[in-house]
Amino acid sequence: MLSLVLRGFMQRKLRVLLTGIAIALGVALMAGTYILTDTINKSFAGIFNVANRGHDVVITPRQSLGRNTRSKTSPVTDQILAQVRATPGVAEAAGSIFTPGSFLDVHGKRLTVGGAPAFIGSEVPKRFESFTVAHGRFATNANEVAIDEATANRNNLKLGEKMVVAGSAPARDYTIVGILRFGGGQSFGGAGAAILTLPEAQRVLALPGHFDQIDVAAESNPAHPVSASVLRERIRAVLPATVDVRTGVQQAAKDTSDLESNLSFIRTFLLVFAYVALVVGAFIIFNTFSITVAQRTREFGLLRTLGGSRRQIMQSVVYEGLLLGVGGAVLGLLGGLVLAPALNALFKAFGADLPHNGTVLETRTIVVSLLVGIVVTLLAGLPPALRATRVPPLAAMREGVEIPPRPLPSRRALIARTVGLLLVCVLLGLAAGGGVVLVLLLLAWAWWLGKTLLRVRRGGGPPHYRLVPALAQVIGVLVTWRGVTGQLARENSIRQPGRTLITAGALTVGLALVAFVAVLADGTKATINRAVSRSFAGDLIIENSQEGNREQGIPALLAPTVRQVSGVASVTPVAFTVGRLPGSSSNATITAIDPATFERVYRVEWKQGSNATLLGLGNEGVVLTKGYAESKHLKLGQTISMLTPAEKHVSLTVRGIASDNARLLGNLTITLALARASFGQRDDALDFVSYAPGATNAQVQPAVNRLLAAAFPQARSRTAAQFKQDQANQINTLLALIYVLLALSVIVSLFGIVNTLILSIYERTRELGMMRAIGTSRRQVRQMIRYESVITALIGGVFGLVIGVVGAVLVTSLTLSGSGYVQSIPVGTLAILLVVAAVAGLLAAQLPARRAARLDMLQALMSE
Amino acid sequence: MNGAAAQGGSEKLVEAEDLRRRYGEGEAAVDALAGVTVAFPAGRFAAIMGPSGSGKSTLMHILAGLDRPTSGTVRIGGVELTELADRELTQLRRDRIGFIFQTFNLLPVLNGEENILLPLSIAGRKPDREWFDRLIDTVGIRDRLSHRPAELSGGQQQRVAVARALITRPTVVFADEPSGNLDSKASNDVLELLRHAVDDFGQTVVMVTHDAHAASFADRLLVLADGRIVHDGESLSSEHALDLMKSVG
Ligand SMILES: Nc1ncnc2c1ncn2[C@@H]1O[C@H](COP(=O)(O)OP(=O)(O)O)[C@@H](O)[C@H]1O
Ligand SMILES: [Mg+2]
Repeated sequence: MLSLVLRGFMQRKLRVLLTGIAIALGVALMAGTYILTDTINKSFAGIFNVANRGHDVVITPRQSLGRNTRSKTSPVTDQILAQVRATPGVAEAAGSIFTPGSFLDVHGKRLTVGGAPAFIGSEVPKRFESFTVAHGRFATNANEVAIDEATANRNNLKLGEKMVVAGSAPARDYTIVGILRFGGGQSFGGAGAAILTLPEAQRVLALPGHFDQIDVAAESNPAHPVSASVLRERIRAVLPATVDVRTGVQQAAKDTSDLESNLSFIRTFLLVFAYVALVVGAFIIFNTFSITVAQRTREFGLLRTLGGSRRQIMQSVVYEGLLLGVGGAVLGLLGGLVLAPALNALFKAFGADLPHNGTVLETRTIVVSLLVGIVVTLLAGLPPALRATRVPPLAAMREGVEIPPRPLPSRRALIARTVGLLLVCVLLGLAAGGGVVLVLLLLAWAWWLGKTLLRVRRGGGPPHYRLVPALAQVIGVLVTWRGVTGQLARENSIRQPGRTLITAGALTVGLALVAFVAVLADGTKATINRAVSRSFAGDLIIENSQEGNREQGIPALLAPTVRQVSGVASVTPVAFTVGRLPGSSSNATITAIDPATFERVYRVEWKQGSNATLLGLGNEGVVLTKGYAESKHLKLGQTISMLTPAEKHVSLTVRGIASDNARLLGNLTITLALARASFGQRDDALDFVSYAPGATNAQVQPAVNRLLAAAFPQARSRTAAQFKQDQANQINTLLALIYVLLALSVIVSLFGIVNTLILSIYERTRELGMMRAIGTSRRQVRQMIRYESVITALIGGVFGLVIGVVGAVLVTSLTLSGSGYVQSIPVGTLAILLVVAAVAGLLAAQLPARRAARLDMLQALMSE
Repeated sequence: MNGAAAQGGSEKLVEAEDLRRRYGEGEAAVDALAGVTVAFPAGRFAAIMGPSGSGKSTLMHILAGLDRPTSGTVRIGGVELTELADRELTQLRRDRIGFIFQTFNLLPVLNGEENILLPLSIAGRKPDREWFDRLIDTVGIRDRLSHRPAELSGGQQQRVAVARALITRPTVVFADEPSGNLDSKASNDVLELLRHAVDDFGQTVVMVTHDAHAASFADRLLVLADGRIVHDGESLSSEHALDLMKSVG
């Protein structure tokens, strides 16, 4: 049987290749995702290992609230350093700084790209230092800096030139005296490092006497050696709970695992697209197998007359699927090796330049890729294989014997299946977190039930037997004016409505997602626009100009400085932090505001309370957003306890409840004074500026900008219109990334169209021969195939748009109702999508059309 | 009666000179046509007979511009086919040649009327309504025009095919075993139609057949054997044709 299958493969090379590619692309994206993320993780692990080399014990701020929530005012101080040094067994201990800031050239242009961090660091004693000098030396005074080689090369910076380092203090420039190389020689991705002297680093971060970390080396006296873990115990015993004490090995492991979880979203994000591509591939395999089973009806009939069992027929099809699955999966795995660097380049193009040293191909990647590829192919090929078993032996004798439809299930079987499927849908939906997935699964279930009931009731074909022709008639109008080729294309496209629907369906999946995302993005932009217009009453917003890195704030010093600019009436800083309710496992988002000036620039939609409430907040008052208050059952006057990033517990009394469609206000709103005192908050996130009466933007914004360029070049000012535009741009960037990744699914579906066309042309060889004989030109034949393809693609496109738009509207109204979400349908984008679908159809038709036109007329005429 | 007499004084519409067609190469080479010179004058109905494999189809394909000879020339209405590029050949077939096939070869997605008009649609020409009406009445399928081929009997399908072949008023109609797939009643209908087309419309028809009865409808009978014309004379009766076939078969 297997040799029969293999021989069949050889005879249908092109189809096998096209179908194989359909599955391979999905597998490639999956394998590429694993390879890329494994490589990134491994690279970071390497970096952290080097960074913690020679460190017996490391002391860092504690992060009870989870990753990325260290207090912005480090609890690691001179005093702690003194305590560490006094601990017996400590040979050397040194405090250091390594904190994200901003690097710029003397003209104010950033030296790092995208969202890549720029670390401001301090030199540490030799045995702790992970940088080595490539050229020059480390800084020896407050005017000097040594920077990493990649940043220097990227910006063509030489020894002796100047650069600007901006932290929390007003920025200043430094002379570059050294080019550094990271110990392991690994790529840092797009990240940069500028190493200052320790006092200067502390000054730049406005934290004299504070460190980000203390590195400790144990006594290496051979007489009484101290192990790292023993030393860790000793130090732990003398230090407060606000700091963590780990051995160097523990610290490297923690850094690595923190980073992996931070970046795990990349893997999830990419895998989603891989699965989408696999689903589309499954459509194509199903369709191709269905068509070939239909075309081989006679062959199967013959096998049956010769005594072949149903099982053997099924096996022959399943083997074909298995072989195809193995081939496709292997091809996909190899493709993944190529795709991984391409994905990395894609992320880099979108501003996320992560380190990647070498290529990490884990066994897991190989196993999962092969398994998924094979299983998907087998599953998709199973229904056609089952269908093939229903070919009656009679098919060998007579022309045009149809495969009998599946026998109708008995009433009991039907009820059992209905209930069973419902259960599966509900369980799957709940397992996937309910919500949207559950709704979609239930819709699918309802569709299945409707379809089955229709079949039971009437015994007729499924509904798409009427829907597809109707749609093809309408779309066909687009091409029928081109005469008979257009008309024939339309008629041909509805000859086998099921086949057309599935071919189009493959494209539908990709386009529906594109449409869904497009509608969602448009709605989000509209929501932001309206929210900013409604809530923001100021004239300027000052923010960090680094794209794609929301963590970066602006110095607290900025607000009072900008206040001095003439024409500025008030500046109100806003900061973001987090806290945690006792017993809760997730953080509450917190916005810190300046009560005295906030109401001048921001309109709060009060549910309970008023602007006066803000003035009375003090150090123990809090305003909650409506949703949070409801979910935590909190009422006005109730007191809650919050754990802060500074490891303190504060008591807060609910003084007001507000709703906030602009989402500036977090779950909790507190005063900035409290945030500074108890949450360790140092930088601000935004400054809202309002102008004095009579002052115009044309006068004030340039003045503000001049000030920023001089003292805070990492910040920029935005008018409300610019701010909205920035937000829109950010959404567009993400949208573009999603489009690129969804394009892969669309490409996969193109292979499906190509495949179906080739198979259909094969079926119609004789017709084509006749048409050529009676004078149809090759061009007309090509045209006819192209139109058919365009119609199929447009059917897919229309279904995709409808499903995507309706889906997005449904989902947003279900999940975001009452949140102020503004529905907005991007008509232009959707129109472009249809054009893209048509062009895709045209592209897919190229090869089949040429094949059809080149057909040997005589052979075609005489073929069976 | 010899060939020259059969040609009479009429204009020679389709002329072939020393046609040779070789399939394959070397040892395995087959000469499907081994030097055929023949002419078909206008307004006559010629039947080509011969045993299976004698080269009938090959000759017809080459005469109709569907295939090219290995050597020799073909002219239709004075146009030298062997010198035409594919595009010109296609156009010539479209405008000047009608085809009738053994297996009807209608497009299943088009109804009767659309199938008949297909050659005009391909050419982007408007149908001559009067001619169309006359044709469908002649072939007798007026009440079947809106039916698709699947809903028509074999005889009806072939009648649609005849109308399709005649709709462009071609210079010549080639028919390859037009009655081969039909029962005797339907077969007679179709052959009578062809006869009718020659007599009443002045249509030129060249028909390939291995059926002596079918041949008896023609004016002229050519017999092919091993790629050569071995007989060319008036078509008298099916018995006459049968005898001829026996002598070469
Ligand atoms: N495409 C082809 N390749 C090789 N040989 C062919 C081909 N077509 C026809 N022949 C050979 O040419 C000869 C004439 O064939 P054909 O014209 O079909 O005969 P007829 O129609 O009289 O039965 C036969 O011997 C046949 O085998
Ligand atoms: Mg023949």
